[in-house]
Amino acid sequence: MTVESETSVLSAQGLCKEYGKGAALVRAVQAVTLEVERGELVAVVGPSGCGKSTLLHLLGGLERPTAGSVRLGGSALERMPEAQQARIRRRDLGFVFQAFHLVDELTALENVELPALLAGASPRGARARASELLAQVGLADRASHLPSALSGGQQQRVAIARALANEPLLVLADEPTGNLDSSATTELLRLFEQLHARGQTVVVVTHDERIAATADRLISMRDGAFVDETKLAGGTARPLSAMAGLEA
Amino acid sequence: MGQVVQLEKIEPLQGYKLRIVQEVVLALLAKQASHGYQLQARLALALGPLGGALNAGHIYVTLGRLEKADLVRARRVDQAGRPDRKVYELTAAGRERVHEWLSDTSWPKPAPAEFHLKLVAAAAAGLADPVRLIDKQRGELLVGLREAQRAALAEPAGSVAGLLLEGVVLRLQADLRWLEECARYWNAAKG
Amino acid sequence: MGRLLLIYRLVVGDIKRRPVQSALLAVVIVITATTLTLGLGLRNVAQKPFAHTRAATRGPDIVIQGQPNRGARGTPARAFRPLAHATGVAAIGGPFPLAFARLTAPGIDVPVNAEGRTSTPTAVNQPLVTAGRWVRPGGVVIEQGLAGALGLHVGDRIRLRGRAFRVVGIALQTEQAFYPACTPGLVWVTPGDAGRLATPSDPLGYEVDVKLRHPSAARAFWSTAAANAFSKAASGSTISQSWEAIKSEDYRVVTIDQKALLIGSWLLALLAIASVAIVVGGRMTEQTRRVGLLKAVGATPRLVAVVLLAQNLLLALAGAAAGLLVGWLLVPSFSDPGRGLLGTPPSPTLTLVSMVEVICAAMVMAVAATLIPAARAARTSTIRALNDPARPPKRRPRLIAISSRLPVPLLLGLRLGSHRPRRTVLTTASLAIAVTMIVAAVTLQHEVDLKEQTSSQSGLFISSSIGGRVTHLVWTLGAVLVVLAGVNAIFTMWTTVIDGERPTALARVLGATPRQVSAGLTAAQLLPGLVAACIGIPAGLGLYELAGGHVATAKPPIMLLLAMVPCTLIAVAVLTYFPARAGARRSVADVLRSE
Repeated sequence: MTVESETSVLSAQGLCKEYGKGAALVRAVQAVTLEVERGELVAVVGPSGCGKSTLLHLLGGLERPTAGSVRLGGSALERMPEAQQARIRRRDLGFVFQAFHLVDELTALENVELPALLAGASPRGARARASELLAQVGLADRASHLPSALSGGQQQRVAIARALANEPLLVLADEPTGNLDSSATTELLRLFEQLHARGQTVVVVTHDERIAATADRLISMRDGAFVDETKLAGGTARPLSAMAGLEA
Repeated sequence: MGQVVQLEKIEPLQGYKLRIVQEVVLALLAKQASHGYQLQARLALALGPLGGALNAGHIYVTLGRLEKADLVRARRVDQAGRPDRKVYELTAAGRERVHEWLSDTSWPKPAPAEFHLKLVAAAAAGLADPVRLIDKQRGELLVGLREAQRAALAEPAGSVAGLLLEGVVLRLQADLRWLEECARYWNAAKG
Repeated sequence: MGRLLLIYRLVVGDIKRRPVQSALLAVVIVITATTLTLGLGLRNVAQKPFAHTRAATRGPDIVIQGQPNRGARGTPARAFRPLAHATGVAAIGGPFPLAFARLTAPGIDVPVNAEGRTSTPTAVNQPLVTAGRWVRPGGVVIEQGLAGALGLHVGDRIRLRGRAFRVVGIALQTEQAFYPACTPGLVWVTPGDAGRLATPSDPLGYEVDVKLRHPSAARAFWSTAAANAFSKAASGSTISQSWEAIKSEDYRVVTIDQKALLIGSWLLALLAIASVAIVVGGRMTEQTRRVGLLKAVGATPRLVAVVLLAQNLLLALAGAAAGLLVGWLLVPSFSDPGRGLLGTPPSPTLTLVSMVEVICAAMVMAVAATLIPAARAARTSTIRALNDPARPPKRRPRLIAISSRLPVPLLLGLRLGSHRPRRTVLTTASLAIAVTMIVAAVTLQHEVDLKEQTSSQSGLFISSSIGGRVTHLVWTLGAVLVVLAGVNAIFTMWTTVIDGERPTALARVLGATPRQVSAGLTAAQLLPGLVAACIGIPAGLGLYELAGGHVATAKPPIMLLLAMVPCTLIAVAVLTYFPARAGARRSVADVLRSE
């Protein structure tokens, strides 16, 4: 039983998720324990089908675990009725999805202000905050564009702005670069570094090594269980130029 | 002109593998003759943060070698009020060499063989757990990827050095992917 | 040949894959076809029973009922006797004494006219006894319709104006329309008993039956000289009726029923078109993807449209056939003019023309509703149909701006409801039609109730009982429409939930509670309901006026009318509660994952 530190934002203990019964039983997540400190960027990597997305859904209260507990900012998420979870979600969580999940008929600005509106903010306040956030992600000039007029990378940036709308404790990102090409991924990397620098706590699930490389901690997942944890700190043994082929 | 020149392979300096710098210097001289410091400046621009490996000394040593191989020739230029400086220019043989290098399509050797054999040997001899070796290497590469990535992001848009860094990043990414495959294999082999 | 087989296979395959919608479509068409069949079948009701009864009872061509002046000297009989030989007159029956009395028995209290008759058969208007025997002192013969309505039999004891009588017989006649087509009902007693039933306040009247040489000239008779002679002979006030008028009275029951049925059928047909359109357009995403697949394997746009139309036409045909059958079985119970006429109820006559009309109507309905979606589906480019089957909802900036100022459930409801405006409009229309019918029914009921309260013993042609029967029919039709509109509302809610899966899942991820989401889904249906109620109330009153009623007199109290609005809203909310709740509780992860 790990001791919760005061700076711990997310604490998951023994999370399990099973589907089906008997011969068709699938253990998507097995006995996962995770502790995320404030300001940390944690990356969970693994091959597709290893249960990363399911884990993220469990952490965000989008699915109920078969066993185990999830505490977000001190509240035990898994025991709450969905209405209460919804309130916590709108206050403390931001989601970023692989498929962006923007509303097609709303402009970028209207998409970003949606969480604030759902939380009961005034329309004016929501709109002001949305403008601010879009400026932060560098899309101020695209505020009145529809998602269909935005590139994949731009759409995902709008999605990140939306995730930050209510100043969440934690941002959960599920394969944020899954649908993006290389240059769009670079745009997103920049954004992730910025978020990290600002102290936003992020848990990102990915199989893209580049995103994983921005993390403080890297956790490997295989067949529903954590198998390895790496702390990415310090520098490399070889200088960069050697890796480029300019050997000294 | 029509003459195939069999060029001797210039031996790199002992313990110091800068073969490509020799080719680049030759190529940079193809347009016009340059001073040594001008060559260095252009190389630094092209290599960006990675250019720190090359300093003026390296350039001049390289130029000396090339001069000895008759691929460049040096000329003295008188400058009023300043000490004389050498200007380097290509010889005909040098020009041939440049063309050959530019049209050469052999890609620099990829290097999975060594690590692959390392794992096989470790497993066969029971000296180390291949999976552990992979994890260690992976961590190392990831940190490298991080650095390269940060450097790439720090470059302004449209910077040519940024392209080089992107290349490093992508290579490392490919290597990491391969390591993932290795891990899957050796994990299964273990169990 | 191969193409026909292909079309057949595609159509059958789709019906099997979407059993609920196919069944719904068929049900809607069956109901509509049944109502249409009934309306048309009644038009063809045979006119025979009246003719039979008239022949059997030597029914009169003209009936004159009168009240002699006070203090008139002499019996009216003497005044009428010479008229037996007037031009055009074949024979005269009567004058018979006519007394007004209240017939009472346990649980019965109705006004009746008691006609005095001797046991001697008359040449004109001799009622046909169908049970028991003809009049004798202390005995009363009751008209068959009246007997049937009151449940009286031979041997029962009743009272007329407090005097005890025994029912000695039951008979048919055509001197007035049978009860309840004509009230007060008719009973026969001996002339002496009739005389004793008269009082100073209800003095004895008389009835004269006239048989003409040319019965068809009954109406024209009154302009002849003979008519003048009759008028002179008659004293006091008179009321007269020709046999055609009596017959139409008899059949008025059926006629009114038929009118109500036809109006109901039109409303039903409109509602059915709306229902079919909703059902067909319901799962357009599936439809469009299927179209894309067909096109990708080489089907021409025309073939695609043909397949879509063929499917719905097939269901329409099946529904029409079933509806014809059901309607054919039901026509007798509506067309029985009553027990006051001779002969079995007419066999239902569905002419070929009527059958064709019904089938055509069903097919037109199916085509009308399918045409637009089929054409659009056929025109969509193949790639778009495969990749992006659902048409993305059109952007409505003003609606978005307005909804962002509203509380969360209304925000969600407004945005969800505007995704498929055609479906919302169709649902509104179907609810409005149902409300219209209910308002018309309420108004009719109100008028009938009013008449019942103010009905007096005078007058032969008040038909509060007919009113009761028609009201019953109208309420039945109203109930059918409400059921159909309700089914529409549920289906619309179901498709809204499924189409709105992604937006609602997203809303829940972003922090909307399940209750807010289900309230939003319900609100998306309540708004059409509100509009429908507001349209339906004046429309119902208008319909009533159009059908021949008088809205000014029959208008129900304002509060009752306004109550339709909350009633509609509550009904819609209740009907759509479960789908809305289910929609708000689907697993978010599943919905988002399947993208």
